[in-house]
Amino acid sequence: MRIGRRDGLKGLVGTAAIAAMPRDAAAQTRAETLRQVTGNTINTLDLTMPGATRESFGLAMNTYDRLVAFGRKPVPGGFIFDHTSIRGELAESFTASPDGRRYVFRLRPDARWHDGSPVTAADVKWSLDRHVSSNSLAKSQLQISSYTSPEQFRVLDPMTVEVVLDKPDRRALMNLCVPYVIMINSTLAKRHATADDPWAQTWMKENTAGGGAYTVETFRPGEQVVLRRNDNWKNGPEGRLPFFRRIIAQTVPEAATRASLLERGDADLSIDLLASDVPALEQRGRVKVFSTPIANGFTHIAFNTRMPPFDNVKVRQAIGAAVPYEDMFQASIFGRGARLYGADWTELPPDAAFPRPMPQHTDPARARRLLAEAGFPNGFSTTFSFSAGLAAAMEPLAALVKESLARVGIQVDIQKMPDAQFNTFQAEKRLPMFVDGATAWLPETDYYVKLYFTRDQRWNFSSFNNAEINALTEQAQFELDPAKYAELCRQMIGILGREMPELFLWQPNHDAVMARTIEGYTYQYYRQIDFRDLRRV
Amino acid sequence: MLRGIGRRLGERLLASLPALFGVVVLTFLLMRVLPGDPAVFFASGPSAGQEEIDNLRREMGLDQPILVQLVRYLGDIAQGNLGRSLTTGQPVLADLQRRLPASLELTVSALILALSLALPLGIAAALRPGSLVDHAVRLVCTMGVCVPTFVSGLLLIYVFYVVLGIAPDPTGRIDIFASAPPEITGFLLVDFALAGDWEGWAAAARQLVLPASTMVLFVLAPLARMTRASMLAALGSDFIRTARSLGLGEARIIVVYGLRNALIPVLTIAGIVFSTMLGANVLVEKVFSWPGVASYALDALLAADYAPVQGFVLLMATIFVLVNLTVDLLYGIVDPRASAA
Repeated sequence: MRIGRRDGLKGLVGTAAIAAMPRDAAAQTRAETLRQVTGNTINTLDLTMPGATRESFGLAMNTYDRLVAFGRKPVPGGFIFDHTSIRGELAESFTASPDGRRYVFRLRPDARWHDGSPVTAADVKWSLDRHVSSNSLAKSQLQISSYTSPEQFRVLDPMTVEVVLDKPDRRALMNLCVPYVIMINSTLAKRHATADDPWAQTWMKENTAGGGAYTVETFRPGEQVVLRRNDNWKNGPEGRLPFFRRIIAQTVPEAATRASLLERGDADLSIDLLASDVPALEQRGRVKVFSTPIANGFTHIAFNTRMPPFDNVKVRQAIGAAVPYEDMFQASIFGRGARLYGADWTELPPDAAFPRPMPQHTDPARARRLLAEAGFPNGFSTTFSFSAGLAAAMEPLAALVKESLARVGIQVDIQKMPDAQFNTFQAEKRLPMFVDGATAWLPETDYYVKLYFTRDQRWNFSSFNNAEINALTEQAQFELDPAKYAELCRQMIGILGREMPELFLWQPNHDAVMARTIEGYTYQYYRQIDFRDLRRV
Repeated sequence: MLRGIGRRLGERLLASLPALFGVVVLTFLLMRVLPGDPAVFFASGPSAGQEEIDNLRREMGLDQPILVQLVRYLGDIAQGNLGRSLTTGQPVLADLQRRLPASLELTVSALILALSLALPLGIAAALRPGSLVDHAVRLVCTMGVCVPTFVSGLLLIYVFYVVLGIAPDPTGRIDIFASAPPEITGFLLVDFALAGDWEGWAAAARQLVLPASTMVLFVLAPLARMTRASMLAALGSDFIRTARSLGLGEARIIVVYGLRNALIPVLTIAGIVFSTMLGANVLVEKVFSWPGVASYALDALLAADYAPVQGFVLLMATIFVLVNLTVDLLYGIVDPRASAA
């Protein structure tokens, strides 16, 4: 076909008419549109891809369903996730065998993928197979609950899937709720699989093959992602549809601009404003602030327990007695969080909850005594590192650490490093002492301890190797009796309190700042927004 | 004459190839010398361990010796492949293609605005050196240069958006709820005009005003000061005295004989200012959430994401070569004697 100049012009006019239309339509649905502003970037639609950002995890919670999902419980001003109450998402119901080795999931008969095709047991099996077989983030996540082979997943009939474990594992069910374990439309994905890429990983980075509450309308990494509600979605609590028809997640790098947008009422929600701005925003009262300590994480000072002098427990205890916890808490995060120091138990904690306040107290005299006993009556020199990305909170903290340790004779050189460099040095265990944050998706005591205090792996920040802890974590994972499990956990916490591989500082607040009309915000363990819960009143 | 220009163009482009090659190799090596391992940075999922780090490293080819990596990279560039960004998950070439028009649109608008202010201001100051006008221009220029762009940007946002509420929300190139024009050139002003959507055009222009003004404040000083200085020199020369003594009109003397002779240094500075603005407007892009190339490169640099940084530097070097070339050609138009040299 030959397009003359006149036709071309007509075409342009036509495009203009189409372009002008959605502008009016968008204005009408502003109330049903949620605009989130964030400083970060969603870099893939398939969150299991190595290198996926945390924002990608949040997106995938809204675009993909899982077999099961965590519930939530009310706290003042909002909700927080509840990993002890698990409901079916794609599964209509599920049962566990008495020996804890078999789980049977019955799928919802009316569940549909985004393209309208029905969800089948074969899709679920393919998805789970993908997670344990392909080279992805899901693989190592599923390993922590003893899922390692496709043979563990069986199709019983077109709507029923069985999951089999070698040993009963406490985390088997809850680990199926985490962001990575997405359920995939296998027919669609397989169409885009190749011989080199049998799990369609390349295609899924840019495309969604799911059936979640939202579909992706626009995906422009580093600028904006626009989601549209899937009106056929029935897998929410009581089958409710989400309130918002459209979600705009916009990248706005400057935190001050994000705050202005919220206060002017042009944006609806942000979860990454500067902690120092939040009190002022709260006071002016033009926006609503929901703050809750991140229940599944902690800020900590880690010692490299294999590097002298920190291989000496007395040195670690001395520093634990020298630093001014309360001053640090106020200077670093303005007291906005929950303290993890100053507990008055000594040998064992009263219960198995973790993270919890530890028996760490500021006592410079004791610090000097311990240093002398450790053979360092005149102190020593060392470094204290933190990443530039956390400088706003960590710089004042580092100054207080340096000052307080100087008083007991320890000379500290503060090192502020670019994020990538800090992470590299941290992973290579080259830092003697540093401050950082940590979170765990499954807030179970034994899981925290296993993740952060055992084995030669990246998250064992302090390179801790304690035979007792190693044995206790191995045992606890497979202990189904709650009383016995709690006893094992108390012992682990007792050892951490005594050995001090890390100093536990606090749980900083997660601050969600939103328009006054937004309700239903839930603090999620992956620290992103679940748009499905939100509504405007 | 046209053939002469063509040959000169060809020679200049050819001569710039070694420089571009040097830039590519240097950036490549620099990125790898910098501490910070992108694989570790990006393998930071809650359960990511050594296996994930090794996988990523293999995928990016970082497990190979540096020389092998360099040869591979040069081969990729020759085929027009700049690699893939980990920060955005997209091919670097696609990212740069999408973002360069945003940066160019902002920079060109700011430069046009700056020149249209700087030339009259500079001329006015040169006509009456030491007068109140001269001092006022000097004050404006000094203030503009002294205030860092992120401060002036945030100030402008605070005054015009937060307090007065007359500016549109300062995020991006177009109102977030409005629809983009059909993508033709990537320059919104051009695309809206082509589509005949003047309402959209005005909206896009309004988004441009604050960031462009921020940049104008910053580059006004070199342009206005250079105009003043070279105008002073030109106005003091013999031919102007001759023109005056012959009784030519004042406007003709200033614009035709004075300004035209004074323009060469101003052009040189404008060329340099343009290249600098394009690469250095990262703060403006950050403050106004402008999806340009500079903020893209900075994000990548902080994450030790090699491919986008290398691609960005190559792009900037190429643009610098092209801008210098354009400036040289413009010399010829402004002053025919220059093209002979």
